[in-house]
Amino acid sequence: MTTLMERLRLTHPLHFVIGLTLWCIWFVAVYGGHAVACEAAAPAPDQGVFTLLNGGLLLVSLLTTAVLAALTWGCCQAVKQNQGRARFNAAVSAGLYLFSALSVVFVALPIIGVPPCL
Amino acid sequence: MSTVNDKAIEHDPQQLHDDLHEIWGNPKGLKSLTIVNHTTLGLRFMVTGMVFFLIGGILAMLIRTQLAMPDQDFMSPDIYNQVTTMHGTVMMFLFAIPMLEGLAIYMIPKMIGARDLVCPRLTSLGYWCYLFGGIILMSSLVLEMAPSSGWFMYTPLSSSEFSPGLGSDFWLLGITFVEISALSAGVEIVVSILRTRTQGMALHKMPLFAWYILAMALMIVVGFPPLILASVLLELERAVGMPFFEVAAGGDPILWQHLFWLFGHPEVYIIFLPAAGIVSTLIPVFAGRPIVGYGWVVFAIIVTGFISFGLWVHHMFTVGIPQLAQAFFSAASMLVAVPTAIQVFVWLATLWLGKPKMKLPMLWVMGFLIIFVCGGLTGVMLALVPFNWQVHDTHFVVAHMHYVLVGGMFFPLIAGLYYWLPLFSGRMPSENLGRWGFWLTFLGFNGTFLIMHWTGLLGMPRRIYTYDTGMGWDIYNLLSSVSSFVMSAGIAMVLLDIALHFRFGKPAKHNPWNADTLEWANTMPPSAYNFVSLPNIETRHPLWDDPNLPYTMAEGKHSLAVASHGRREMWGTDPITGKVREIIHLPGNSWWPLFAAAALAVVCISLLVRVYALAGIFVLIAGVFLLRWSWENGAHPSAAPEADVAPGDPPLHSRTMDGPGVWAMAIFLIANGSFFLSYLFGWFYLWTVSPEWSMPAVPPLSLSILAGAGIAVLAGYGVIAKLIRGLRQKRDAGLGTGFYLAGALGALQVALTGWALYGADLSPTQTTHDAIMLVGLIYALFHGGLAVILTVMQGLRVGYGYVGVHAPFEPAVVVQLWRYNVVTFWVLVGALAVLPRVVGG
Repeated sequence: MTTLMERLRLTHPLHFVIGLTLWCIWFVAVYGGHAVACEAAAPAPDQGVFTLLNGGLLLVSLLTTAVLAALTWGCCQAVKQNQGRARFNAAVSAGLYLFSALSVVFVALPIIGVPPCL
Repeated sequence: MSTVNDKAIEHDPQQLHDDLHEIWGNPKGLKSLTIVNHTTLGLRFMVTGMVFFLIGGILAMLIRTQLAMPDQDFMSPDIYNQVTTMHGTVMMFLFAIPMLEGLAIYMIPKMIGARDLVCPRLTSLGYWCYLFGGIILMSSLVLEMAPSSGWFMYTPLSSSEFSPGLGSDFWLLGITFVEISALSAGVEIVVSILRTRTQGMALHKMPLFAWYILAMALMIVVGFPPLILASVLLELERAVGMPFFEVAAGGDPILWQHLFWLFGHPEVYIIFLPAAGIVSTLIPVFAGRPIVGYGWVVFAIIVTGFISFGLWVHHMFTVGIPQLAQAFFSAASMLVAVPTAIQVFVWLATLWLGKPKMKLPMLWVMGFLIIFVCGGLTGVMLALVPFNWQVHDTHFVVAHMHYVLVGGMFFPLIAGLYYWLPLFSGRMPSENLGRWGFWLTFLGFNGTFLIMHWTGLLGMPRRIYTYDTGMGWDIYNLLSSVSSFVMSAGIAMVLLDIALHFRFGKPAKHNPWNADTLEWANTMPPSAYNFVSLPNIETRHPLWDDPNLPYTMAEGKHSLAVASHGRREMWGTDPITGKVREIIHLPGNSWWPLFAAAALAVVCISLLVRVYALAGIFVLIAGVFLLRWSWENGAHPSAAPEADVAPGDPPLHSRTMDGPGVWAMAIFLIANGSFFLSYLFGWFYLWTVSPEWSMPAVPPLSLSILAGAGIAVLAGYGVIAKLIRGLRQKRDAGLGTGFYLAGALGALQVALTGWALYGADLSPTQTTHDAIMLVGLIYALFHGGLAVILTVMQGLRVGYGYVGVHAPFEPAVVVQLWRYNVVTFWVLVGALAVLPRVVGG
């Protein structure tokens, strides 16, 4: 894990945009996936939230959150190990990864409470 | 090259100034139309924007006059619809964005220690496109055929069936023309901020205003292409009957809403972010201390930039989208309050810990804080789906929008104008007149729009030209209208103050507000080249840390204080560290941007009046002008035929393979990619959602021919990539031949794609499927053709000696287009020819 994080060069400012880009991709995937699934094979309304579709969306969301949380952790380690510009970049990236992870959780919350395709 | 030491050479400052003025100075008379300098063009943008603002303001007053009392017949319904549509259109497209772009164009090079923007001729093209597009759009008002479908032009109301005149066409063509301007500015501002900061100015030392403008420019680059695509599709539907938004033929009017709001919601933040940048610049200056939490602000800017692209559907909560999808967008809409709140708390903390001086600019900042926070709170209310349903299309939404846009953009803009006025003119504004202007505007604004929230909650719909007295809205509308005139009086007073100060304002002392950023190291008003010498900056507050810096810069005691070579020069630096990489040499004044914009204006008018042959001719003429413009680059005699630099200085950018043009092409391709992704979204959206969509039983496109075309473009790219590798190893044998070979392969791709199109026998006016397929193939043909032309030109330039080992820059620009073409062509083949065979209709 530590080696992987080192390879990712978490002090590079490119990480300012990677977390939120992942958030955007997740958002499009969840919104688009839901729309396509509803057109192709909408679950019966009486199934409520316990559908394969909600399960799939939740799984994708959990995986995305896990990736973003790991990157947050990696950036936090980089903050401790660096000074100056590198520390600034890692700190801002850590905040952005954390925000992205929490955003996935917050936006995905309705998946466990709202039935799809209605 | 890492660090270039400031030269300890003694210069005669006046001689240096004269020499630099000789190179950078603006011509007078008719030749002033050729000016490419950012200071002049930034001012032109802002002055033109203010003229459009006045027109938009007059339209607003007409609206409030009409609504002041019930059952008014001051305007007919049709004229009222034209006036409301044009008010929104003018304020959003012709005032807000160009005005802020103008400020960015003027200010960014001065703040980051550069002498100009990185693509000066592009600045000029952008201005002329803006001016001509604006004039074309405004002429519709004079001709009484202005668009009348609302500033967001929803289909089918804006389609030819319900808007048969030329009104919608004026909007679609005029706005697309203006968007060329926005994109031009977006591309070059991004590259300028990343690559032309003065040496030592690392990314984390950059002024916050530059961070805000960087985010704004990138958002323009990504956010505008969806609307350009939507406008192209709707104009094609109106002009030649390609049915993209007609349900019966397989289209869907909701596609317009998606594409429009994919642009429209980020646009709110495109307008807000630079305004917030003004606030983040002013508050530390007037509080007399550095901003609290620089890193937090950077964080908030980046979050705002991204999250704003995930909110577009909250404008469409009533169109019948599934509840779960609405919940996603509702949650995302609430999220955007987080970065906004962070900024508000940062500003408050800075004021709290500093010793704020309530000068005139700060009055407008305080007005901004109050109004924008209120607008933000009603925004969170509107993010809640049930509440949104209740107030949808009522005056509540109009009130919210004005709180956000006027509070979030206009108040900071005026704060910024007052703050930088001494820089523009060398004179101070009148505090008395300015304070009267502020209070009248502030009270008038709240009187107009606070009350409008209640009118909306009482159920008054937006866009109705009159109402019955029995509805109970009379007194609220009257108060709104009276207040709107109070606000107008306030704005008139501000404009009067600004106009009078040029003649009667007290001369400003140098750096009158004791600011910390580099723009105040200029003379007031600034010279055409900004700085005599370019300093090494390793602090966020250069003028606070070294108050003598403006004087040493003016005395030529820093770098690039040389003019004997006759070139317009500035640093090209590393985007992260700010270390010097090369000397960027800029082109001088030029007629080509004006000629190209004029030719495009003729294209626009020809399309309006449906003289397509003339439009085609002028497309070719515009293309010739643009190519002729591109010819004068690199080692061309009018650019930089000699590559001599002072000992110890880095090489000229045209003698490297990483100049700003490489970056500009990359950013342009991001915009292009956004357009392409929007197209793919449209294809898959219609395929999935459109109720009458039908896929032909036999796929019309020949897979084998398209695969042949794909292999040709891949081979062409391979040839160019090999040439580039050779140039990197200082080998240019067979360079010209290689370009011609690649051009031939590109031509083969174009021919095969054309053959596939011909063989498909599409009926683009009968079905949406065929229409959108045709658009995709035309996109591929256009890009293939462009790559061929640019590659053959490279071959020619090798022959002229403008490209080679000594000047390897341009092939590195062109190869990116080839790479892009390879990817997009194969994706297109997959989407249009492979997937339909695999998935079926």
